[in-house]
Parts: sequence; structure tokens; C-alpha cells
Amino acid sequence: MFLLFLIDIFRMAVKVLTERKTRAILTIAGIALGPFALVMISSVIDGYGDYIVSQVQGLGQNTIVVFPSGNNKLTENDLNNIRSIPGVKRAEPFYSIQGQVKVGTETKIVFIYAIPPDLVFESISGLELEKGSIPSETEYLKAIIGHKIAYTDDGSVAYDLGDVLTITYLKSVNGRNEVKRVSVVVNGVVKEFGGAFVLSPDLTIILPLEAGQRLLGLSDWSGIYILAENSNVVQDIVREIQSRYRGVVDVVSFQSIANVINSVVGAVNFISFAASLSSFAVAVAGVASTMITSVIERTREIGVLKALGFRDREVLIMILAESIIMSIIGGVIGITLGMIGSHILASTGVTIRAGPQAEIVIKAPPKITVFGILRATILTLMVGIAGGVFPAYRASKIPPAVALRYE
Amino acid sequence: MLRRHGVYMRREVVVLEDIVKIYRSGSVETPALRGISLKIYEGEFIAIMGPSGSGKTTLLNIMGLLDKPTSGRVYIDGIEVSKLNSGEIARIRNYKIGFVFQSFNLINRLTVLENIEIPLIPRGIPRPKRIQMATNALIRAAGDPSWLPKKPNQLSGGQQQRVAIARAIVGEPPILLADEPTGNLDMASSRIVVKTFQELNKTGSTIVVITHNPEVANCTEKIYVLRDGRLIGEVSPDPSKCILNM
Ligand SMILES: Nc1ncnc2c1ncn2[C@@H]1O[C@H](COP(=O)(O)OP(=O)(O)O)[C@@H](O)[C@H]1O
Ligand SMILES: [Mg+2]
Repeated sequence: MFLLFLIDIFRMAVKVLTERKTRAILTIAGIALGPFALVMISSVIDGYGDYIVSQVQGLGQNTIVVFPSGNNKLTENDLNNIRSIPGVKRAEPFYSIQGQVKVGTETKIVFIYAIPPDLVFESISGLELEKGSIPSETEYLKAIIGHKIAYTDDGSVAYDLGDVLTITYLKSVNGRNEVKRVSVVVNGVVKEFGGAFVLSPDLTIILPLEAGQRLLGLSDWSGIYILAENSNVVQDIVREIQSRYRGVVDVVSFQSIANVINSVVGAVNFISFAASLSSFAVAVAGVASTMITSVIERTREIGVLKALGFRDREVLIMILAESIIMSIIGGVIGITLGMIGSHILASTGVTIRAGPQAEIVIKAPPKITVFGILRATILTLMVGIAGGVFPAYRASKIPPAVALRYE
Repeated sequence: MLRRHGVYMRREVVVLEDIVKIYRSGSVETPALRGISLKIYEGEFIAIMGPSGSGKTTLLNIMGLLDKPTSGRVYIDGIEVSKLNSGEIARIRNYKIGFVFQSFNLINRLTVLENIEIPLIPRGIPRPKRIQMATNALIRAAGDPSWLPKKPNQLSGGQQQRVAIARAIVGEPPILLADEPTGNLDMASSRIVVKTFQELNKTGSTIVVITHNPEVANCTEKIYVLRDGRLIGEVSPDPSKCILNM
């Protein structure tokens, strides 16, 4: 019986809205703005966040890197100490510097690591050789190069197997920077890895560990690269190293970077959510003013309904139905446009400047979730209810005798 | 029929006891009714006359439970209504009272059919049944169901008032209250409205008509005269001066 009444009320509400089309459309447009902005922005942010996190995690869930902090140095003792920590599968020192390489006509910034190359391939599961082979530990002149070094940006071969590649780098000698050049032979080319967070495998040159001292003339290790037995022990190992070397080293795991990124994305998402709440609040005011106007205009009609036997709560439900119907329409439009908009927004991509010459372009599909849609739907419905409840309550309390005298 | 035999107790449909109504707006007090007692029996057809501002509408609103008296008691079918909440009062209005207004008060956005259906909606009557009841009501009030799909503003004033009467009787309430129902109508339309009321009265409806027009009042069975918020007398109608007999 009540359901029957609701159906009748719904029909009446639709008639009222279609009678005052312009006003209804404007109000609905105001309502649609909130879910539109919320769905569009949060699904783009979530999409980018997921993408970045998956990129970082692709660099090795089980990898931990220890860097000396300040003027501290890492020694053979430290290496043995770390190797003795339970859960550590392998630990090797490495040298790293930045340099420049000519690729075709372009000069590219590259990252040079002297490290047992097989360890890198063991820890980063997505990393594979396209051609060539991993040099042995003693072949310190032989290099594995990233895809964007082997090929120019338009795809033609810049360096092939056996080619000589010259690296230019800065080295500080007695506090002065000197430009140095070394030549290495290409022994392997890495398949395109894509992504470029924290590490950029496509712009990396990997040399055997011995090359660090012998070729690049570096005396101190840049750090120790650790491979844990599995991802569950990573946190324990990080904590153990931190407690053994308090203040002496910085410990980084890709897992913790991913966690940081996740929480940053969460924070950004929350801020954008909070910001979009303001458009919901504005919509509440819009609905309320539309409904108050509508109720005042229909004072007499409401008096007639009451005279004919409508109860207060039936009038309340009838007026509320109008604002709820508007919010449902606004929600459907807003969410639909938000989903379309998120694809458009995401496809333009975002450029992150990591340095003067290091630009990272992120392009990731938006992440449209049931939670996101549900959240927007509930908020939009609340706009309809919040905006309609006061006018509806007022309408329900109009004394019929007064309403019938209203001109 | 019962009322023709004085030996039977007639049922009191509306009883007003010592009704006072004072409108207050700010510090200004307007006494509209100054102590009215009145009994209306089942099957009566009465008129209330009086100059403008004498309190006729106020009295009708209180009888029809659209307004509450400042003091005094109202009984509808023996029920004292001051103890009821607004939902219960709305239910009594819905089942027991039909209203006809001077300005029709039809909703122009809705069709004639939908207007007539309104009192049936809070009763939870399914639509097909409602359409049937509304059609019957319009046939009784106007004899012409072809108006059903029209909008009220496509009809003449007299036609609109007949739709309003159909709406008032669709739920078959025992009491019909009309506030200057012919006030906006020409002679011909007024006749039809009065004729309809007489017919409804013959089938058992209790009818109270407020009117300025003696030619309407003279068609009823009893005329109350109201002045300055007081009932100053009861007049016997002169059927020869009824609008239907002229
Ligand atoms: N809502 C109101 N507030 C104040 N005064 C009112 C109100 N309604 C009616 N009145 C006054 O009450 C008196 C009776 O009004 P009413 O019942 O409409 O008389 P009638 O229908 O006989 O013309 C008038 O003086 C009128 O001005
Ligand atoms: Mg009046």
C-alpha cells in the first residue's frame, strides 16, 4: 500500500519537474557537478597512483639498498655483517655515477652501475636481455645497456653488440670536478622496460663490479644491494639494518617506496575528495533554494492536498521525492560524464620533472571503482535529501486553512 | 428519510460547542468567531449566510478540520477531534469530508482524472480502481466523462466546479462542505451546481453551503445567518425563490 503511494508520489513529482523544466535542468546541472568532479579526479589519481606503485613494485619487491649517509663509508665488514642477517639471500656492493652518452645525434643522461649484473637480473623480474649476454665478473670492459641507449628515440640502432660506447662523466678529484671519458664494449641490450620511477632501467648501463674501481676509478662503494629471500622479510631486514647502523646508513626498499607513494596518493585523493565536497555543498544550497521556491509557489496546492486528506508526512515525502529525483538524474549524468572525463583527462598524461633533463610522462588509464561510484552516488543522494528535507518539512507543516487563503 | 419522522433520533454528524476563533498576528487579535454552537444532522442540506468578514469561511474551516478553534469543541460523527493528532485529522478529512471551494482549487498541471483521483491516493487504492471511481464521480457530478483527459484550464468555470464536486465526492464522504461554490459562476452554471447538490443530498449526503446568494440559500432546508462571528438566527428557506424554480 505504501509502495503504491510511493509510485503515485513519484509520478506526481515527475510532473512537477517537467512543468518547470528550466529550473529543474539548472538545478540538476548544479547537482551533477559534484559527482562529475569527484569521479573524474579521483579515478584519474587512483589510476596514476596504481600505475606508479606497480612500476616501483616491478623494480623488485625483494630489493633493499643501503647507502652510506654523510661521510660514512661502507666496508667489507659491513658487507659481511649484512650478509649474516637472517632472510638476506644475497648482498653485493655497487658503484654508481651519472654520465652522458651520445645516442644518435642526442646526448642522454645515463645511470651507470658497477654491480654483479646477474644480481640485478635476479632481483628485477621484469628485466630481460633482448640480445647478447651477461658478462662475467672479470670482463669489466663489457657493458649491458638499456633500451633507450641502444636505440634512438625514432627506433634506429645506435649501439649494437660489440660496438664501443663512450661514457662522459664528472669525477671529483681533490674537491675539483674533472670531466672523464671511458669506453666500454656493448655485450648485451636490455628489453624495453618502460616506466621510470626511482630507477630507469632503459637509461642504465650495467658494468661488472670490478669496473667500478678499475674503469671508473671509484674508491668507495656507493652502497650495498640486497636481495631478500621473499617480500615478507623485507621489513624485518630493513629494521635490522636500521638498528645495527643507526644514523650511519640510509635503507631503501622499493616496497617502502611503494608504501610511501600509496600514502601520498591516498592523501592527494583525500584532498581532492574534500575539495569536491564543496561542490556538493553548493549543490545542497541550489536544491534547497529551488525546492523552497517550488514549495512557496505551490502553497495553495499543498493546502488543497491537505484538505483532501494528505497527511503531513505524505506531503513531506512528495516534496522530498522531487529533490531526490533531481539528485538521481544529476548523479547519473555527473557520474557518467565523470567516467568519460576521466578517460579524456588520463589520456592527456602527466609530466613529472625529476630534474633539469629528466622528464617522466605518466599515462595510465583511470581507475574507476565500485567504491568510487558508490561514494559519488551516496553523496549525490544526500544532496537531494539534505537540500529537500527542510523545504519538504516546511511544506508538510503548512496549516491547510492558511494555505487555502494564500494567493 | 429518517428526518421526516420526528420519532427517530437523528444522528449528529457535525457538532460545534462554544466555538471561539481569534486570529492572532503579532499583537493584533481578530475575533472571527465569538462562541458558536451548532448541530448538523445526517442528511441535512443547510446554508450559512452572512456578510463578508462575518466568519463564514472560518466556521467552515473549523467544521472541516482545516483549522482549530481557539476554544470550544468539534465533534465529527461523535468523535471529539481536539484530542487527535494531525495525521488522524487528515484521515477523518479524507474519509468523511468533501470540500468545494469558490475558486475550484484544481491543479492545472494534472488532468481532470488525476485531480479527481487525489483523495483516493492516500487511501492506497490501486490506479485502475481509482480511474473507475473517478469516472463514476464525474458522471454523477457532470454527466460527462469526456473531460477526464483534459486539463482543468481547458474547461469553463462551471465545468471546473463540477470537476471539483466530482473530486469532493469521489471518496464518498458523508459530509460535503462548500464555500461559496457559485461565487465565481454565472446563473446557468450555478443552477447546475445547486441541482447536483440537491441530488447528492437526496442520496444521503449531508451538505453545508456557504453562500451570499439568497437564490442558492433558498434551495436548502435551513439557513443559518452569521454576523460578526455570531449565529444570529435561523431562517426557513422559500423554495419559490430557489434558483432552480425561477
Ligand atoms: N488568517 C487570518 N489572520 C487574521 N485574520 C483573519 C484571517 N483569516 C480571516 N481573518 C479575519 O477573520 C474575519 C472572518 O473572516 P472569514 O472567515 O474569511 O469571513 P467570511 O468568509 O465570512 O468573509 C475577517 O475579519 C477576516 O479579516
Ligand atoms: Mg469567506
